[in-house]
Amino acid sequence: MASQISTAMDSLNAAVKSNIIPNQEYLLQGSVMDSAVEVLLQRLRGLCDNVDSRPETFRDHEMCFSIRRGPPPEQPLSLRVRRALDHQDMPWQLRYIGQPELGDKSRPTIVRSSIDIATSSTVVEFLTELGCRIDFEYIVQGYMFRKGRMKVTVAKIFKMVQVKIPDNVEPISQSYLVELSVLAPRGQDAIAEDMRIFAEQLRPLVQLEKIDYKRLSH
Amino acid sequence: MGVTVLQQFPMSENRTGPQTIEFLTKRVVALGAVQTGQFLVDCETYQSVPQLGSPKTVHVLHNSEQPASVFAVLESGTKVVPLIADGLFDLLMLKMTSIYTSKKQTKVEAKGPRFEIGDFCVKLGSVTMSQNFKGVLVEVEYRPCVIPGSSWELMREFLQGFLGSAVPNQAPQYLQNRMNEIYQPMDTIQQYLEHFGQYRKSTSVI
Repeated sequence: MASQISTAMDSLNAAVKSNIIPNQEYLLQGSVMDSAVEVLLQRLRGLCDNVDSRPETFRDHEMCFSIRRGPPPEQPLSLRVRRALDHQDMPWQLRYIGQPELGDKSRPTIVRSSIDIATSSTVVEFLTELGCRIDFEYIVQGYMFRKGRMKVTVAKIFKMVQVKIPDNVEPISQSYLVELSVLAPRGQDAIAEDMRIFAEQLRPLVQLEKIDYKRLSH
Repeated sequence: MGVTVLQQFPMSENRTGPQTIEFLTKRVVALGAVQTGQFLVDCETYQSVPQLGSPKTVHVLHNSEQPASVFAVLESGTKVVPLIADGLFDLLMLKMTSIYTSKKQTKVEAKGPRFEIGDFCVKLGSVTMSQNFKGVLVEVEYRPCVIPGSSWELMREFLQGFLGSAVPNQAPQYLQNRMNEIYQPMDTIQQYLEHFGQYRKSTSVI
């Protein structure tokens, strides 16, 4: 039993070095009107892997936090907490999302760095005491599909009429948000091409694009 | 997973750290314990930068007994908030280095042999703070039971059996406060954190 035990940090550093941690999100987004969602769901059922059963539904509560890392122009660090309202015994999810990189026209998807962490339900109190401020929260409810490594969600966003009470909600629009994403280790750009081809197959029912957040906020 | 008691074993002047571990190893092996590898509990502490307002401290701990988890304990002055997360939480702490800075010189770990003996699991940890030996912590877990109040008497007898008078008759204060609650891995972490705090404050070996 002479073998030396390694620290958790050593194992993590080894995993980082060998590039096996999925820390990049490839993302395309679009939307459809409520009246058109049925057709899109039918099409996705035809294209995706989990077709034999009914599409998987989800209902999540998402809270977006931010913490200032320094005076401007330093960007605040933004953190998201998600919990499944329909599976309350599941771990909560804490997520760091970096600045989206649009890249040039030759790059088919947005790429942003991402760290997904499963946590205990104390995470909201932890972040609050850590010095994070809650910016906004919402309920997202809809359907999830898989196609190989790709994830497709078709979901409606609801605003919460009362803070922290997810029962009393109102839809924020008459449309569904459609997202096509893959979480992968750095440098696996081939997946972006698969996503472009898949997005092509969903046209003209939905147009999945690289959304430029900077243009939206100005 | 059962109830765990963490006990400091006082150092005597005629034994070094490794000699103390060897001395205790002989005793538990004589009782019939079988060594089952090594164990490691480590703790790194982060301090908030002054710009963030009132000072806050985050302790991040790992325990080889729960290798897929990271344990964090946040002390904000008014509250203590525990968090259990998966291994990637360490990457997130690295993203926050401009707000929470690591006090590297206070990095503490307890490391040593792990034994199994019937329903008990015994760990003999030598505690080091940034490579300096600070003392010996003995961890005993009684695995079939998760209620401290129901297992303390049995554990006391077992502990006193091989550690002698170093073990008080009273359960450690931390356990006394939750004798009828269900014991969880975070409770072991909190006990380590308390002991690590004492080693950090002390300037010599204890």
